[in-house]
Amino acid sequence: MTSATREKKRRGGWFKEEFGTPERRLAYYMVLPAIIIIVAIAFFPILYSVLLSVTDSTIIGLGSFVGAENYVEMFANPDFWEGLKNTVIFTVASVALEFIIGLGVALAINRAFRGRGLVRAAVLVPWAFPTVISAVMWRLMFQDEIGIIGETANAIGLVSEPILSDTTLLLIACILVDVWKTMPFMALLLLAGLQTIPGEVYEAARVDGANVTQRFFRITLPLLKGTILVAVLFRTLDAYRVYDLFWVLSSEQLESLSTFVFKSVRISQLLFAQGNAASVFIFVTAFLIALIFIKLFGMQTGTEE
Amino acid sequence: MTERNEGSGVSTGRKLNRREFLKMGGAGLAGAALLGATGCGGGSGGSGDLIFSMGPDDAQGTMAALIKKFNEQSDFNVVHRVMPSDTGTYFDKLRTQLQAGSGGVDVIGGDVIWPAQLAANGWIVDMSDKFPESEQKKFLEGPLQSVTYDGKVWGVPWYTDAGMLYYRADLLEKSGYSEPPKTWDELKEMADKVKQDAGTKYGFVFQGDAYEGGVCNGLEYIWTHGGNAVDPNDPNKVLIDSPEAAAGLATEASMLSSGVAPEGVSVYTEEETDPAFFATPGDAVFARNWPYMYAYGGTKGYLKQDQVGVAPLPVDEGYPLASCLGGWDMLINSQSDMQEEAWEFIKFMTSPEQMKYRAVRATVLPTRSDLLTDPEIEKIPVVAQGRPAIENTHPRPVSPYYSDMSLEMNEQFNACLKGDISPEQAVKTLQADLERIIEAGQ
Amino acid sequence: MASATTTKGATGRSPLNMILFYVFLVTFVLVSMFPLLWVFRMSITIKAELLESPAVTATASPVADNYGTVFGNPDFIQALVNSMIVAGTTTVICLFFGSICAYSIARLRFLFKSPIMTLILAISFFPQVAIIAPLFIQFTAVGIINTYWAMIIPDVVFALPLTIWILVAFFRELPADLEEAAKVDGATTLQAFRKVIVPLAAPGVFTTAILTFIHAWNEFLFANTFIFDAAHYPVTVVIPNFATVYTTDYGAQAAGAVVVTIPLVILVLIFQRRIVSGLTAGAVKG
Repeated sequence: MTSATREKKRRGGWFKEEFGTPERRLAYYMVLPAIIIIVAIAFFPILYSVLLSVTDSTIIGLGSFVGAENYVEMFANPDFWEGLKNTVIFTVASVALEFIIGLGVALAINRAFRGRGLVRAAVLVPWAFPTVISAVMWRLMFQDEIGIIGETANAIGLVSEPILSDTTLLLIACILVDVWKTMPFMALLLLAGLQTIPGEVYEAARVDGANVTQRFFRITLPLLKGTILVAVLFRTLDAYRVYDLFWVLSSEQLESLSTFVFKSVRISQLLFAQGNAASVFIFVTAFLIALIFIKLFGMQTGTEE
Repeated sequence: MTERNEGSGVSTGRKLNRREFLKMGGAGLAGAALLGATGCGGGSGGSGDLIFSMGPDDAQGTMAALIKKFNEQSDFNVVHRVMPSDTGTYFDKLRTQLQAGSGGVDVIGGDVIWPAQLAANGWIVDMSDKFPESEQKKFLEGPLQSVTYDGKVWGVPWYTDAGMLYYRADLLEKSGYSEPPKTWDELKEMADKVKQDAGTKYGFVFQGDAYEGGVCNGLEYIWTHGGNAVDPNDPNKVLIDSPEAAAGLATEASMLSSGVAPEGVSVYTEEETDPAFFATPGDAVFARNWPYMYAYGGTKGYLKQDQVGVAPLPVDEGYPLASCLGGWDMLINSQSDMQEEAWEFIKFMTSPEQMKYRAVRATVLPTRSDLLTDPEIEKIPVVAQGRPAIENTHPRPVSPYYSDMSLEMNEQFNACLKGDISPEQAVKTLQADLERIIEAGQ
Repeated sequence: MASATTTKGATGRSPLNMILFYVFLVTFVLVSMFPLLWVFRMSITIKAELLESPAVTATASPVADNYGTVFGNPDFIQALVNSMIVAGTTTVICLFFGSICAYSIARLRFLFKSPIMTLILAISFFPQVAIIAPLFIQFTAVGIINTYWAMIIPDVVFALPLTIWILVAFFRELPADLEEAAKVDGATTLQAFRKVIVPLAAPGVFTTAILTFIHAWNEFLFANTFIFDAAHYPVTVVIPNFATVYTTDYGAQAAGAVVVTIPLVILVLIFQRRIVSGLTAGAVKG
């Protein structure tokens, strides 16, 4: 009895400490608007999707509770596994390439040289180009016989069949297009991160006799960790939900997790509930991916307190 | 509260459901309303205008002209809500609007493959009373079937499309042929000969990609070999696992394997077909495409019209003509509160006079059978040469689950064309897939 | 500025090194620009030539037709304005709420930072295609469907996590004693944020602004679903509609794409200096 009251008191004290002081309250007030915007808009749709995934709902109305049935059916669906496989390959390959090339580009243009303004702008152009158009344009370029890439690849014997009719080649094409398209995002972000590393740090290291490689691994990478986490994490989450690139470039042939959701929820008349189950699957697995990243890179923000 | 109305049915339960659905949406919004308060003005509609949902106008602007004409003589205004030009994107957008219970749209210009699904979801109005059998008889058989579902008529056929065979009249003549091929075997033979004589790059191009157009092409091969996907009189009966259907797909695959068609056709859509056939100097002897392509004739960079001929698609020896039905219907949103006005507008747009106007100006083919023999329309080359095709169209399976069927068919047809699976395998798989879809829907 | 950005470049480079560097640079720029040059070629070509084979030998006959089509279409001009309004508003809202939130997380002391950061991120876990329909219902319920807000609100919601996470990363990099120094001079927490932190984190803030702006500028799914009339369509919805049911007007689409990319390039060029020059090495200690 007494211990319980003490416990209560202690908790009250903790609560008071966290929300009682004006300084702390201000901190929460500053966080609140953004949280409210996100929760107010996204909370209902996501929760509703979770609800749909455990019912036999159709596009025209809520059904009755069926437990895990949709999930069982989804895991039995070969299209789902095909989508998962492609998504994982795509995500790993494209994010890794984007990171390596992006970091290289960021390092290269983080210095004084003639025309760097133009180079920086040029780097960003692929990313600024409307996605709806670039996917169509790439499809044209990959076309057999009439597309410049398809034609060239054929001529030099790189491929023997139409690129767009082979799912492996299509997946590779999607990865390359994604690298072309989103590497600038990575480069720009990492460049901004590099900018925040004070020059003196390098100066001091050089005085201490550190060579280029040592400086890169001992200074640049550790100091860039926060930026790398953000850049790689967001690119991974985006790539993991890839949809429009696959849809347009492969003309609906190449399955990803999100195209599976799209087909189920927005085209099919029958797979509506299963599509929602797949959405929840994406949500949960993306959450795990994020946790792994945060553990791996350490989210300094949270551990400080 | 919700178990009551599982499954299909255009019952009152559906409406109740949608209201609940909306309520939940509203409830989740307590916070968002805060943001929304700054939103300027509401959605469209409500102003007394009739909203007509349809893709972009044709190049000649005939749709806009007709709407203007209608508005001048009517006591309400019709506003064209421009939807995406791509049918798939259009359908997706429309479905989202209707799913949300939006009455923003009154009249829907819908692809011929939509009415069954829209009707089964209770989203469009049964027009059997307004559009009686005596009227229906004046329309072409294929388009009429596309709006017939569950024994009722859910729309009025607006304009039609049919798969056709385009051929190089000039090259055929040089090689000593006076007529286009009647059978698929003849087509292959002629393609090979002309290819040799004239040095043309390809024999035949068509749409083999895994998409809706690929389904049309595949079904045409099946129909012209005497097969079918489902029983036209009972869409729940799957007939695709038949020797005829397999023979059809075998012919399609042989186009590629024998080299009559380039390997690339397995990823061709209409977009790749028309330049391959029509752009000078003309890479192909034959092409399968819709009537729209004929309009390229004589424009800059394309072949001249007299170099090209149009004919119905070939068949397998002894079977009747068959083309895939394309085109658009006019439907009424069941949530619309302007039902009478909607019908007035549809009556106007589908009247012989307006159909003729669009046919003559923009080669938009009429769905009224007697218009095909109208002297002015008869002169249109596509109609003059391709009329048997227009008169012998088959609709794709009329089923609420057509979207699901289409996904399976385009995948199997494409795999078969590429030689990844045999025609027998393809039809067997499809038989099981389509039966599963129909069963799941019941 | 020079001292911060040129440190590494200053380590005596041989002429050969410089040549190699520029070769790398030119190659890189060409590779990233090539597809766009191709689009430009499309924009001055008619379709018959565009898809002629073999592709490499096709000779483009420049035609102004495609640009004529694009600029002759009043919807396109309107769409450019709409895109500007939507992307601009989204960027401002995102940066405003995002930087306040990020500042608090990065530099103030309180519990629950990790859960809050993860909660903010959660919206990025969900496939957008799955929540379109519920969003549609919400927006209809509050009467903002078919208005700019129907694009701005989801754009903000989906861009905010990125904005906040980037800004947290940048705000954290700033030396710890900055605000203390400002507060000694009599500034409040908010003043310290506005007058000291934001200017110093300028490379991060401007980078975020550009990324957010482009994100909103390129958004298609929401705009295509929530907007019905041409008066509100952004460019991403208008450009694909240079087409009919069967044929795409590639030339006009390409011309449209070129036209809408140019403002972004100019934008980047303008903010160029801001992206790279914000934090000077001596800001605190010097």
